[in-house]
Amino acid sequence: MNTPPVHRALALTAWIAGVFCLLVCGVMMEEHFAAGTNEPWTSPQLLALREKLAAEPKNAALQKEIRQLDLKFRRKFRRRLALDKTGGWLLAGGGLMLVLAAARAAALKKPLPQPQPEDGAREQAVKQAARARWSLAGAGLAAAGSLLIIRLGHTSVLPANPDAWQKLAVKTGAPETPMENAPALSEFQANWPRFRGWDGGGVSVPASNAVAGILWRSAIPLPGNNSPIAWGERVFISGGTAARREVYCYNASSGALLWQRAIENVPGSPPKVPAVPEDTGYAAPTMATDGRRVYAIFANGDLAALEFDGSVAWTKYLGPLNNPYGCATSLATWGNNLLIQLDQGGSRPAGSKLISLQGASGRVLWERPRPVPASWATPIVIEAAGKTQIITLADPWVISYALAGGNELWRARLLENEIVPSPVFGGGLLLLISPGARLLALRPDGAGDVTKTHLAWASEENVPDIASPVSNGELVFTVTSSGMAACFETRDGKKLWEKELGTDVQASPGIMDGRLFILGEHGPLVMLQAGREFHEMGRIPVPDKFVASPAFAGGHVFLRGVTNLYSLGPAASGLARQP
Amino acid sequence: MSMIRRLKWIGALGAMLLPALMVCAEQRFPPPDFESGYTLPSPSTPPARALWLQYADTGVFLAALAVALWLIYKKRSRRGLFWLSLFSLAYFGFYRKGCICPIGSPQNVVYALFHPEYALPVTALIFCFAPIGAALFAGRAFCAGVCPQGALQDLMLVKPVAVPPWLEEALGVVPFLFLGAGLACAGAGTGFVICRYDPLVPFFRLSGGTFILTAGAAFLLAGMFVGRPYCRFLCPYGGLLRLASLASKWRVRVTPDICTRCRLCEQSCPFGAMREPAPAEIHPTWLGAERRRLGWLLALLPALVIAGAWAGSKLSPAAAQLDPGVALAERHARQQSHPARYGFMTPEALSLQRAAENPGAILAAAADMRRRYDLACWLFGGWMGLVIGVKLLALSVRPGRTDYEPDRGACMACARCFTACPNERVRLGLAPAGEGSAPS
Repeated sequence: MNTPPVHRALALTAWIAGVFCLLVCGVMMEEHFAAGTNEPWTSPQLLALREKLAAEPKNAALQKEIRQLDLKFRRKFRRRLALDKTGGWLLAGGGLMLVLAAARAAALKKPLPQPQPEDGAREQAVKQAARARWSLAGAGLAAAGSLLIIRLGHTSVLPANPDAWQKLAVKTGAPETPMENAPALSEFQANWPRFRGWDGGGVSVPASNAVAGILWRSAIPLPGNNSPIAWGERVFISGGTAARREVYCYNASSGALLWQRAIENVPGSPPKVPAVPEDTGYAAPTMATDGRRVYAIFANGDLAALEFDGSVAWTKYLGPLNNPYGCATSLATWGNNLLIQLDQGGSRPAGSKLISLQGASGRVLWERPRPVPASWATPIVIEAAGKTQIITLADPWVISYALAGGNELWRARLLENEIVPSPVFGGGLLLLISPGARLLALRPDGAGDVTKTHLAWASEENVPDIASPVSNGELVFTVTSSGMAACFETRDGKKLWEKELGTDVQASPGIMDGRLFILGEHGPLVMLQAGREFHEMGRIPVPDKFVASPAFAGGHVFLRGVTNLYSLGPAASGLARQP
Repeated sequence: MSMIRRLKWIGALGAMLLPALMVCAEQRFPPPDFESGYTLPSPSTPPARALWLQYADTGVFLAALAVALWLIYKKRSRRGLFWLSLFSLAYFGFYRKGCICPIGSPQNVVYALFHPEYALPVTALIFCFAPIGAALFAGRAFCAGVCPQGALQDLMLVKPVAVPPWLEEALGVVPFLFLGAGLACAGAGTGFVICRYDPLVPFFRLSGGTFILTAGAAFLLAGMFVGRPYCRFLCPYGGLLRLASLASKWRVRVTPDICTRCRLCEQSCPFGAMREPAPAEIHPTWLGAERRRLGWLLALLPALVIAGAWAGSKLSPAAAQLDPGVALAERHARQQSHPARYGFMTPEALSLQRAAENPGAILAAAADMRRRYDLACWLFGGWMGLVIGVKLLALSVRPGRTDYEPDRGACMACARCFTACPNERVRLGLAPAGEGSAPS
């Protein structure tokens, strides 16, 4: 039978297109494999030069050589990409031609259907089914064999039981910085090492003097909403703008600025900082100290540890931080541990975590993901139920973690709204605020979800939305943003009194020497008796705006205003003003 | 439609759209603002789309599905389906770059089930369930004209050769195994391996790794002689549609009238989906043997599931290494016992450096993932046993067909067989009346 000329032409076209495709494919593959190690990120030559540069960072000739070689490899790489792209289009064109011509040629030669007699159809069907069953069994065995090969080819060096992996972390971690002797607990208690004092409760050790007026005030170079912390003769605060972040150390007696240190060139921190709402600013989190160093964190994610002389011990970039109002959760210290609650996300969790660092080295001791969105409350550390627990708040969970290892101990679903007030521990109960909704008391023991079993009481009266509560063990005191102060029994939540103070309040209250200190947003510092009956003991006017909470140390009260740092103490006369 | 019914529909639609509004485009981390004028490339392919454009894509998808159903059942038009599949190839393939597509969407659903923090997009939900819904009623209309992968392979088909039935049946379980593996990985939280190992998507994107491009080219070359090899022997979503089609209310029929058993359609299906009628008479001696075999296979089924689950559980340490976090933990631990030297500042060296800085966190995250994989592999193994067991059973049951008709599950509703039927040709006016009448 003669082949029609159209068919011959189509077949020839298909052959030519096929050969063309093969040629293009061959060239592309040759280029691909020839490139081999001549790529900027895999070239052994370039890697060796870079390693050499790490040892001699100022070797200009070496830098030049690396740049030239890098540029050469990058050019080659770009050329290959362009070649790939051109080759891809040529292949597409050739392939289309091949398929069109071959399909048309095949259609011209398509035989007509010629059904054959159906002899022994049943036997054939039975045989086919039997063959299919066997081939299926073979396929199953092949699949099982493939999985076995994958299993054998990917052996694991990790223990079979994942619970044992934490032990491995201790073995395989970076060499540990020798553990320092942490200051005694009494030293922490005598000072004000973190937001709201040594345990975050806002209660100071008794002092011998009465607070009567302003002793000194000192200008603060950069703005910030963080509260002062104090250790010995030093008071620390931080300040920051989009352009600059700094830490300040003042003399506690005179108010003199001892040093100020800019936190810059933090490895990994991008030069351009993210925008942060003006009300929060770049330095909202309160610093913390372990008596050896001070620690500061800023809204752009920069974390710094400074020695008491102002030199930088280490820095770390924890950002970028995803917090709609900006990072405001303060740092916490306990012994040699620095604790950072980094809750992130809008309405949903987005990388929230709790981190424990070794203060001396900045080494991460452990890190735990948290199932919560952004929050602004500061964690506290308590000794309860025979364990040292870290108590964290965020919508909707109160979660307790073990200080050693960071394992979750228990959790309770009790909170709602934007969580700003921090928890306190008094009278054996955790006292928490679900902003604008409830004041809650929770027993800090148990395991797992204790929502339904451990809530001691809840009150819906005079619930603050910003200020944290304060407790002397027997009583709990709260103050709302509008200045309504209230007192409750710690034991059962019974309200004993409430009083309108006539001032807006954003700062959290504190207790010293049986006196409750409440700082108005525009002053004054109101002193009430921390007792079962309302009794105002005095007011000290302070001419500034206050968002930060007072610090109490050595019988003095330190206040951070928008423009100045103040020290209040026994002598009201002779206000010392530092530049 | 009554007003109440209309309001119900509007309410249901609103309820579906509401969650999407809540999760609308939120930049997780603000990108750096380069002052040199450098433009950041999009971190995803295809780039993220405005919400209304996602809904527009969904609208186009649903419309294409509806047109496919109309062309299959109402118009019985191969030509129409061809043009529809060309449109789908252009729109869902080359324009949308193969994403979002129903093939990967079951992973989104499973991921959402196991990760409550993940907001499942409404579009993913529709792309996942609309073709399955259509298949439950009317077969694989999605495969017929809406799937860009199918359309690309259809275009490549030059001279189809028949795959031996025994091979067809054996390879037919692979899509179900791939589906199980993909869903296990998605449930564990590692990623969407079905998308990662889709061999045809790189052609839509005009880029891809060497391995996946080679695999894709192999499928396309094979597709010149074997009809839609990816759809038949690998596509996991095809497996789901196959199952749904088995229960479909309506099915594709070769003839618009009575089957005359002329057998002219026998060779018309390039996908090996055409089935002959079952022989009427059965040899009495075979009946007993068939029943015994069925009994044995029924008894074997739970044993296969249990054995599969056990074998799957042993796979967990290897499978978990698919997760980058577990792989890093392994490398970190291996580095302690058998230190390997990686190039200076290479990704491996840098990752090891970071792991050494905080091994506790790396190992804790890896341990969590490994626990997830323990469960996922156990389920995958059980699924594997179930698939093979059920398939063995299906091959031991006698079909009850009386006509030449496409297999419900295997038929891709491409409409190629329609014009092979003399009755259809008469209906179309391509043959004189009487040519398709029943034999006397």
